[in-house]
Amino acid sequence: MNTLLFAREVTFAYAQRPVLNNVQLALSEGEVLMLLGPNGSGKSTLIRILLGQLRCSGAVVWEGRSLRSWKRRELARRVAYLPQNPTCEPDQRVIDVLRLGRAPYLSAFGIESVRDVRVVEDVARQLELTELFDRRMEELSGGQRQRVFVGRCLVQEPRTLLLDEPSTFLDLRHQVEVCQLLQNLAHQQGIGVLMALHDLNLASAFADRLILLDQGTVAAEGSPARVLDADLLSRLYGVKMLRVDARDGRTVLLPDINLHQ
Amino acid sequence: MNRYSPQRAILILTASAALWAAIAGLCLLVGSTGQAGLPSAAQLGYRIEVILLASLVGAALGAAGVVYQAILRNPLADPYLLGVSSGASLLSYVWQFGLATSLMAHLGGAALSQQAFAFIGAAGAVCIVFLLASRRGRLEPVTLLLVGVIVNAVNGSIFLLVNAIVGERPGSGGPLSFLVGGINATVTRQQEIAATTVVGVGWVVMAALAGQLNVASLSESEAQSLGVRIHRLRWIALIAASLVTAAAVAISGPIGFVGLVCPHVARLLVGTDVRKLLPAATAIGAALLAAADAACRCIAGTSARTVLPVGVLTALLGGPFFLLLLWQSRRRGAPEGGR
Repeated sequence: MNTLLFAREVTFAYAQRPVLNNVQLALSEGEVLMLLGPNGSGKSTLIRILLGQLRCSGAVVWEGRSLRSWKRRELARRVAYLPQNPTCEPDQRVIDVLRLGRAPYLSAFGIESVRDVRVVEDVARQLELTELFDRRMEELSGGQRQRVFVGRCLVQEPRTLLLDEPSTFLDLRHQVEVCQLLQNLAHQQGIGVLMALHDLNLASAFADRLILLDQGTVAAEGSPARVLDADLLSRLYGVKMLRVDARDGRTVLLPDINLHQ
Repeated sequence: MNRYSPQRAILILTASAALWAAIAGLCLLVGSTGQAGLPSAAQLGYRIEVILLASLVGAALGAAGVVYQAILRNPLADPYLLGVSSGASLLSYVWQFGLATSLMAHLGGAALSQQAFAFIGAAGAVCIVFLLASRRGRLEPVTLLLVGVIVNAVNGSIFLLVNAIVGERPGSGGPLSFLVGGINATVTRQQEIAATTVVGVGWVVMAALAGQLNVASLSESEAQSLGVRIHRLRWIALIAASLVTAAAVAISGPIGFVGLVCPHVARLLVGTDVRKLLPAATAIGAALLAAADAACRCIAGTSARTVLPVGVLTALLGGPFFLLLLWQSRRRGAPEGGR
């Protein structure tokens, strides 16, 4: 597996307040890597640093080249980003939202190539969005909207997807759907997926590897079975956790309310 | 899915131009005192000039409205409401005094210098609005409008103060001309050429940015991740829109609501894509102002004793439209700031 992203000794502070300290991570093709950690642990900041939106000390290397040597437009053809609250105009049609993903490829006056159209249509087919083309964004359910936004990212033809809590405002079914979709993209198409997530059980079910952040440092890294340690999580989140290991090897975590009381 | 190809771009431009030409053609039938009918050879030249002037101003305001709304991510943005028009008008008025004229005469032609003054006024208003209405990089919609109101009020007061101290300039139109603009044929050929050039160049710049302006409706981090240098885009687009507004206002005075109404009417016809919105709103702006000016000539010819400035009519139509938009955006839970 080729390494898509490598970050070393990433350190960052807002004004004088340290946010990340000496963080190291790597992401390979076809891998789902999830960032976990309590609020304020530095997950979103780390993603923005990897995108070049915040300057840090340390090194960020995309596909063997230092982040600073990438032109913004060039990087946008390799790396797509979905924030926690993606924006769109309420009366914008689905097709117009998907088309935005071709922005890094458009020439002056916004002229589209034949390839631009083909990519949008292929992605729409893949995500079953073709029937929604003419629907306005305000008419869609939360799950459909999120699928459109993931589609906008895929239209960029990225090799890596960075997502900041993509399941936050979704119900359980749609959370699972989105995570399944991202896992399929990684395992079937070889896209590297790096996402910040709050839900420990979703992370356990869908991640190939986890990084647990605590106050800007890596507290644990590795497979879900290894990282999702009840004692460690209890300490980090300030809530006593109960870990249940199912027979098929999956791990489920619950706040251990009875013991806590 | 239709590809936005060069042919499609030309088709949209042609359709927009045809829409404008059809309405402008009808306006040719309305004379300067409201009488309708085919113009004589002597009347034709005058009518064409007035219609072209109205169309130029309308086109400029319609196009600038699209860009302001996209860049400020606010469907209520309009050069008039933001104070851009009054800033341009004020400086355009100041230009008429000897000191400014002689100063600028060293730097360029007389007509160009008025455009330059108007642009400085427009750019100054945009900067004030941007600085005062933004909080953590986001523009608060209500604050934006409040700042616009204040900028308009301050500009109006300065105008009246200068007017009171220095006295009225012959041919300046007096305080009324600052309140509502109009199309008059007293504009010199040099001013017409300067305004047309500036509007033309500014429009091409805005059209070239149209693909990226679609992305400007997203958050800053999303726009950056799509490869758009959003700060640079904002500044270039704002300068282009302010230039175009200033060029129009320098020859007409502030004409309200064209920049607000036209983008919204265009949205109903062609959707939210700025590549299609820009030519559509430009044509609708040109047609709307040409038609409104013709209507003013009719009203003036039949009932009023003096010429009715076209700004009166656009404000009468645009005011309720603005309230409707405000009501709609409140019903949607204030999406105007959260797009």
